Amino acid sequence: MAKKIFIQLAFILFLLTSCQTKSDKEFTVWIGGAPQEIDFWQKLIDDYNRQSGNNAILVRQPTYTDQRRQSLIISLEAKQPNPDLFLMDVVWIDQFAKSNWLEPLNKYIERDNYSTDNFFGRVINSVDKFEGNIYALPVFMDIGLLYYRKDLLKKYGFSAPPQTWKQLVDEAVLIQKKERERNKNFNGFVWQGAQYEGLICNFLEFITSHGGSVMNNGKIWSNTPANVEALKFMHDLLYKYKISPPNTFTEIKEEEVRRSFQNGNALFERNWTYAWNQHQSSGSSVKGKIGIAQLPHKEGFGSTSALGGWHVGMSEYSDVKNEAWDFIKFITSFKTQEKLLLNVGWNPGRKDVYHDSVLLNQIPRLKILYEVFNHSVSRPVIPYYAQVSEAMQRYVNNCLANKISPADALKELQKQINKVTAIYEEH
Amino acid sequence: MKSIKNIFSNNETCSAYLFNLPTIISALVFIFLPVIGTLITSLFRDVTYLPGKFLWFSNYERLFADPHFWQSVNFTLLFVIVSVVLELFFGLIFALVLNEAIPGRGFLRIAILVPWAIPVAISARVWQLIYHFDYGLLNFIFMKLGISNTHINWLGSSSGAFISIVISDVWKTTPFMTIILLAGLSTIPRVLYKQAEIDGTNFLQRFFRITFPLLKPVIVVALLFRTIDAIRIFDLIYVLTGGGPGGSTTSISLYAYNYFVSGDFGYGSAVSVIVFILAAMLALLYIRFGRFGEVIK
Repeated sequence: MAKKIFIQLAFILFLLTSCQTKSDKEFTVWIGGAPQEIDFWQKLIDDYNRQSGNNAILVRQPTYTDQRRQSLIISLEAKQPNPDLFLMDVVWIDQFAKSNWLEPLNKYIERDNYSTDNFFGRVINSVDKFEGNIYALPVFMDIGLLYYRKDLLKKYGFSAPPQTWKQLVDEAVLIQKKERERNKNFNGFVWQGAQYEGLICNFLEFITSHGGSVMNNGKIWSNTPANVEALKFMHDLLYKYKISPPNTFTEIKEEEVRRSFQNGNALFERNWTYAWNQHQSSGSSVKGKIGIAQLPHKEGFGSTSALGGWHVGMSEYSDVKNEAWDFIKFITSFKTQEKLLLNVGWNPGRKDVYHDSVLLNQIPRLKILYEVFNHSVSRPVIPYYAQVSEAMQRYVNNCLANKISPADALKELQKQINKVTAIYEEH
Repeated sequence: MKSIKNIFSNNETCSAYLFNLPTIISALVFIFLPVIGTLITSLFRDVTYLPGKFLWFSNYERLFADPHFWQSVNFTLLFVIVSVVLELFFGLIFALVLNEAIPGRGFLRIAILVPWAIPVAISARVWQLIYHFDYGLLNFIFMKLGISNTHINWLGSSSGAFISIVISDVWKTTPFMTIILLAGLSTIPRVLYKQAEIDGTNFLQRFFRITFPLLKPVIVVALLFRTIDAIRIFDLIYVLTGGGPGGSTTSISLYAYNYFVSGDFGYGSAVSVIVFILAAMLALLYIRFGRFGEVIK
């Protein structure tokens, strides 16, 4: 019911906004996030309007990712001139580009001699660029990290965070056993296993750090020996080593994991970059006792981290494209990216911010982040990713719920993925 | 020819139609058109990144061949049956109690409405905290009372998640049942009960001979509303389990939603049409077997 009313209201608002005639140089920017993030964006946009003489208008999007996507799809499918600019989750870009909703940025980049070398090539090439066209640029980059308790590792005689999954398991088993004498709720390793998109990011990290992959020659493969081994390892964390909480697959998302670690109930945590500031805030019981590192890997393979974050795109239907491009240049500039980092903790999409010596002194973790971004893996870049992800979530979660074996789960998943592919691949 | 002319020459009939016009128009625009639109969309390939194509009934073929769709149908129907029956049972009891002149009746009538007044998403969040593995109220009580010595993962199995959802829904919507039934009860003349009492009947006899037959049309209406509402269950599950574990608590609406969000409008519409047909069939069944029309007359 509430949802129905929300949609109706959204529709009315949408009609109202689309009925307004825009004056010259006026454009809308759709951005979502936590309230204090949006407030900061408003400030940035006010600054921009004062400097440029253009009139950028911030439209606040809902907090939930799904709802942001929904509202964007409705406007773009209807070919509305609003929004002119919007932020996209990395996994939407391919679908948006193939739906012809995104203006290729090449001609503006060439015209202004704008250098894209400042961005991470690995990121631009994997998610922003298709068939030679650039459709989006990174504004905020997110990535999976290993958070660890320095004090506990030291207490039990370990000098550095674990490099391999085996080390992580050994250390977690030992420390969990000792710590549980004191704190019954203590867990060795917490990560996201509920049936939602975050599970796929975790799954991707586990399989790629076991030498597996999901995309191979443009095809999606779930059922490979390395992937089965990785899923079995995830299963073992719950049922064999018992270092991850038994409810990992039901309610555990980012915030549950963050709270548990922040309350001192976990040794290792896999989470996104946002958790750092929260863990280090006053009132956190782990303040000053934590470190971050790359996620571990299986012996003989390399560490990987799932890429998340928000990229800016321009609507194909925008009627003030030159001004919109000017705004893209503004938000991807060193100055703005630095401000976003310092004020709301958004990790810059630009490489040069990570090398700035003043910033490095102030925020030493930039060095590790830079390293991790260079080992990022992206989720499959296909327009029907949402369908593939939905199937993956179900089967991987079902395996973590101990209802199907890892091998069978991935075998069934492969069948499901083949079906989805057959439907959505153009013949 | 003559009869039609008669109708419209009759001034009273004419103004009756005029008065009905706003309702008819809004029903056409807001109910009939969207249904037709969804039906038409469901026959097309309407995916944002693919060229549109007329498919006849391929979307439906795909739907019927998908085991996960059938799983969501089974889940939804089982949910409807169990939750609506429980809601009727508890709603009837509450309504009967609140209809008696008991002390504090006014307060109780308001108190029982509270769950109904809370938005579904918020009550789902509250229930999530009750069922929570680490710091949930339920595990706390179970541990304190010594019923269990380890935390129980309530939402961790298909049956556990199902029962948890049903309990939350029954808590949330029983007040709705209660209010409607209470309204029905208050229309039954007191005099009938007085008379029956003089005739020496007991409570059960009075219930089955007087209350139930006279309440039946109201029960049918209440069941109809609740069933149609329950078959579209979405928000509670979206917040509480997200369809997990392993997709076992995906309702048909959640199944359809996943396709709308990702931009496959044709397939999503086909699923919506199925929900519409299911709801319409159930409504017809109720009206037919509840002998709705006759009783009203």
